[in-house]
Amino acid sequence: MMRFVDEFRDPELGRALAGEILERVDPGRRYKLMEVCGGHTHSIYKYGIDDVLPENVELVHGPGCPVCVIPMGRVDDGIAIARNEEVIFTCFGDMMRVPGSEQSFADAKAEGADIRMVYSPLDALRIATSNPDRTVVFFAIGFETTAPSTALTLQRAKAERVENFLCVCNHVTIVPPLRALLESPDLRLDGFIGPGHVSTVVGARPFEFIPARYGKPLVTCGFEPLDVLQGIRMILAQIEEGRCEVENQYSRVVPYDGNPAALAVMAEVFELRPHFEWRGLGFISQSALKLSDAYADFDAEQRYETPGVRVADPKACQCGEVLKGVIKPWECKVFGTACTPEHAIGTCMVSPEGACAAYYNYGRYRREREVV
Amino acid sequence: MISSREHRCITCGDVASTLQVVAVDEARGLALCRDEGDHRETVEIALVRPVVAGDRLLVHAGTALSHAPSSSPGEAPRATVNRDRPAREGARG
Repeated sequence: MMRFVDEFRDPELGRALAGEILERVDPGRRYKLMEVCGGHTHSIYKYGIDDVLPENVELVHGPGCPVCVIPMGRVDDGIAIARNEEVIFTCFGDMMRVPGSEQSFADAKAEGADIRMVYSPLDALRIATSNPDRTVVFFAIGFETTAPSTALTLQRAKAERVENFLCVCNHVTIVPPLRALLESPDLRLDGFIGPGHVSTVVGARPFEFIPARYGKPLVTCGFEPLDVLQGIRMILAQIEEGRCEVENQYSRVVPYDGNPAALAVMAEVFELRPHFEWRGLGFISQSALKLSDAYADFDAEQRYETPGVRVADPKACQCGEVLKGVIKPWECKVFGTACTPEHAIGTCMVSPEGACAAYYNYGRYRREREVV
Repeated sequence: MISSREHRCITCGDVASTLQVVAVDEARGLALCRDEGDHRETVEIALVRPVVAGDRLLVHAGTALSHAPSSSPGEAPRATVNRDRPAREGARG
């Protein structure tokens, strides 16, 4: 199966694309492109894509890692639920070390809470059916790629009348934070490397407001090195040719109008929250999902009391500025010193997709890049 | 596409694995799938039906989001560096 991957990692083709990018850029100007997704950030630093770009093309990292944008107050809420004796609390492994105001899920587990890592919501539902005398709570997190999985599992729980399965819904949506970023006065961008698998669900069409209203090109991209390089070339080609539109580099899996079945199940199970807090970005209107009235019986937040308190980020942490692309990870005061993947202060260092962890794990400490 | 064996953040909306369908349970809407290392997992297929054994699926958090293309090696990326063919395949706007 790796042959389907290798073709997108061909070094010779990568060099050819890098050469074409070099031909596209105007040496007299700077280009600042934002990759929206944590998956792209990971690929860029894993494969050294940044190093083959011209010096005047800068990549900045956006808010597309759902672990990185989860505020500490939501972790506290989850821990409060997990501490109930009858509860088996389940979450993805990436959430285990995300700091709350006092503890992470891993800390709470060490103190006796029954917190278990799962690979899918379906795994959590299986735990529920195997433990009918306990209440299983799934801490749902993620963008539109993950939300259909939670929605399908809740549909299945309802159809199979599993009454001991609940959900804490933290699903977020990608368009509102992009709009918030574009309204931010301290951010100058020339284009976006658009989300790949989120677009498999929502399509490329929802991003049309970015070129139409804000005059920035966006290209939805895959995650292999050649995907990212081609996406960058497509953005630069738009700028060079005076075009500004949504293009779809990842057309092999992204339908322009998304997956209608996924959108339908999400519409049935979820509804928009009036507002939701994003770490580093503050409260953003209609940017997150909660369970719809039809699924209220599965809503852990209606069954259990939670603190529901907004918790300020640690003063030393500059995750917010990193998430907005205002500073690079290594410009944070605690990067690589007080804040490391082993002892993370900020969420951007916890998640492997986080910009800080990507920089740290792939040794990207240099302040200066080599000029191509 | 990402190999499921690589260490990635499962929560991230943009991490997905390509798995091959081994068997389909139509009644339950589930499929048994395997990755290149023969690690097997059960996958929701409600969003990508119809599915048959041998299909390749893009899977995230236990749910298949789309069929994965059966491209031959080199096919897609080679087109991108062909100067006679502008890199706008799939472009809409």
